[in-house]
Amino acid sequence: MKRVTVIAMALLLAIGTFTFANGKKEEPAKKAEPAKSSFKMTEWEIPFLNCLTGPIASIGEYLEWGAERAALEINQAGGINGIPVKVTGIDTAMSPETGTVEMAKLTKSALVVMGPVPEPVILAAVPIAVRAGLYSFTATTSYEYAAKFFPWAISWFSPTEEKLPPVVTAWAKKNPGMKNVVQFVENYGAWPGMAKAHVIGLKKAGVNVLKQVDVPTDAVTFGPLVVKALSENPDGIVFACNAEKVAKLILELQSRGWKDNGRLLVFSSADDGALYTTGGKNIDGVMIYNYVDPNLNTPRWQAFRKAFKADHNGMEPFSLSPNYYDAVYMIKRAIEETGITGDPSKLKEERIKIRDYCNNIKDFKGLMFNWTNKNGVPQDKPLFLFKIENGKKVLVEKVIPSNK
Amino acid sequence: MSLPLYYYLAITAVYILMTWALYLPYRVAHLHFMVVANMAISGYFGGYAAINWHWSFLAVFAAGFLIGAVVSFVVSIAIGDAPTFAVVIVGFTFIYITKTVIENWPAMGSTMGMFGIPLVNHILLYAYLFVLVTGFFIYRFDHSRLGRAASAIFIHRELATSFGVNTKYLGMFLQTWAGAIGGATGVLYGFIMNSLFPNFFTFPIIGATMTMLFLGGYTTMWGPLLAAPVLWGAPLLLPTAVASWRQIIYGVLLIVILLLRPEGAITRPFIVKVQTTIFQWMRIKKV
Repeated sequence: MKRVTVIAMALLLAIGTFTFANGKKEEPAKKAEPAKSSFKMTEWEIPFLNCLTGPIASIGEYLEWGAERAALEINQAGGINGIPVKVTGIDTAMSPETGTVEMAKLTKSALVVMGPVPEPVILAAVPIAVRAGLYSFTATTSYEYAAKFFPWAISWFSPTEEKLPPVVTAWAKKNPGMKNVVQFVENYGAWPGMAKAHVIGLKKAGVNVLKQVDVPTDAVTFGPLVVKALSENPDGIVFACNAEKVAKLILELQSRGWKDNGRLLVFSSADDGALYTTGGKNIDGVMIYNYVDPNLNTPRWQAFRKAFKADHNGMEPFSLSPNYYDAVYMIKRAIEETGITGDPSKLKEERIKIRDYCNNIKDFKGLMFNWTNKNGVPQDKPLFLFKIENGKKVLVEKVIPSNK
Repeated sequence: MSLPLYYYLAITAVYILMTWALYLPYRVAHLHFMVVANMAISGYFGGYAAINWHWSFLAVFAAGFLIGAVVSFVVSIAIGDAPTFAVVIVGFTFIYITKTVIENWPAMGSTMGMFGIPLVNHILLYAYLFVLVTGFFIYRFDHSRLGRAASAIFIHRELATSFGVNTKYLGMFLQTWAGAIGGATGVLYGFIMNSLFPNFFTFPIIGATMTMLFLGGYTTMWGPLLAAPVLWGAPLLLPTAVASWRQIIYGVLLIVILLLRPEGAITRPFIVKVQTTIFQWMRIKKV
């Protein structure tokens, strides 16, 4: 009986090992079939490796919404070279493991891939795309992640230490009496790197940067953190933690006598619904920086904004909402400008065409502003400094980092 | 082999091994989540050694196995015969300490994660060879005197002690072994994914492996072998609209299994039944 079990186990595992593994190494995407004269493109399919369930499902939803909105507009205007486009959302549920398998599926036939989202999935899945020669639109992550996979990934942002300091300097200069600033920093993803960039901007403005206060990811009480920060006697505070925590920290600060909200600066990643719903009227006067200006008065943005609000119970578009909207339009322009056919027999060369075009796209007409890329990095994207008033952001200054 | 199948099988191996790493200490009623910390420690060590010291995969793998064993052994001196709850607390504490150290250690990539762990040829083969070897030894253990002693401890610790079972040594042995499996699996994981991210080594892996252990069956080593490929693979096969409900599906499955089969899908009587059936079938064939 024992022998039967041992044999059964050995067979089962041996099948798994030798039949499937067969000592093979990971292979790049197979060569496409030879060109067939009968090939006719019927639909451009753009896969989007997104998080539609799990802890950041709400962010994934509005990223998806932006991409589908772009596809809808393009199709209403006649498609890409007369052919309709479809965005296919693929849910990784923020799991790197699922991301690898889903990305592996795409390496065979996708022309380009949008995403993955967010960083853990990027780290796991983009190397597979790179080895397969598949270009990834990593449009929500920081430069520091995307740069690891150049030229097979695009960065939507310029290097953090170049893009953020000018806007922080601008905020410091709006508060000439401010001499000592403390930062609340949550140790997650690119946020510590952003906090370092804030320090550069503050020092450039001649402000003394005090010892930062670390905000635990699982923090539930904020009083001790605020007491720790106030013990340094700051006259200005920068927040680099998640939206809800920022709001709660501000409430705690106010309960301990903080008056001047203009000397509080919130970083872009906290520009989320929870900041406004939790903060309410208490965050009036707080400064915040971001990459989009919701008050922009162009017909295209206003139409996007209106549609977003209609589909999201009147909420304003969040800061990352335009990213994949713009990505779809960038793909459209690349296809049209480089004569990409979508013919599977030309997959390899057309993937390279789309990569090279987007990495160095000139004067791309984005939803909010135009920009130019150089080697996969945007050169002239602005940042916006706002003051929060009645739950809305009011533009204070537009800052263009000089990383050309 | 297609690339999706390759990754599916590779990650399945990781889940089988990690579920076995939980299964082993659970034989003496220890929910030893420290194996996740072992996974992280050895995984990051392996990634660092491969990237910066250019160690070969096999050297890194062996080192990861040893590191996992040593760390777990040292801790097991204190918790080898601790109550289940204490073992759980120690496990969680180690996970958070490890995560915090990694997040604050620039050489480990801090919160950005570790990139560029080299690609290794035949890693799937190595992974399944390790599954095979580990499975063989677990099988031998389960059917040995030690395995029966572990079962006695699981049912009644004091009674087992009265039979002369050294509960502490057995607990230490299983925790050390589980730590070694966890460490080696961490190295495998890093080389399969070519990257590491600190947040992976927390609740996601605990939740997944716990579900696999309790759904598959915690009384035999075969439960994880069945549950890992099914539970991890099902959402990949389901249409997106259905797969989005995976958490609910898992929850319902867990409730149904716990209600109908509290010991999980594969139990010892079930294994005996299968063995008997196969044995009879073989005898009939022979006749």
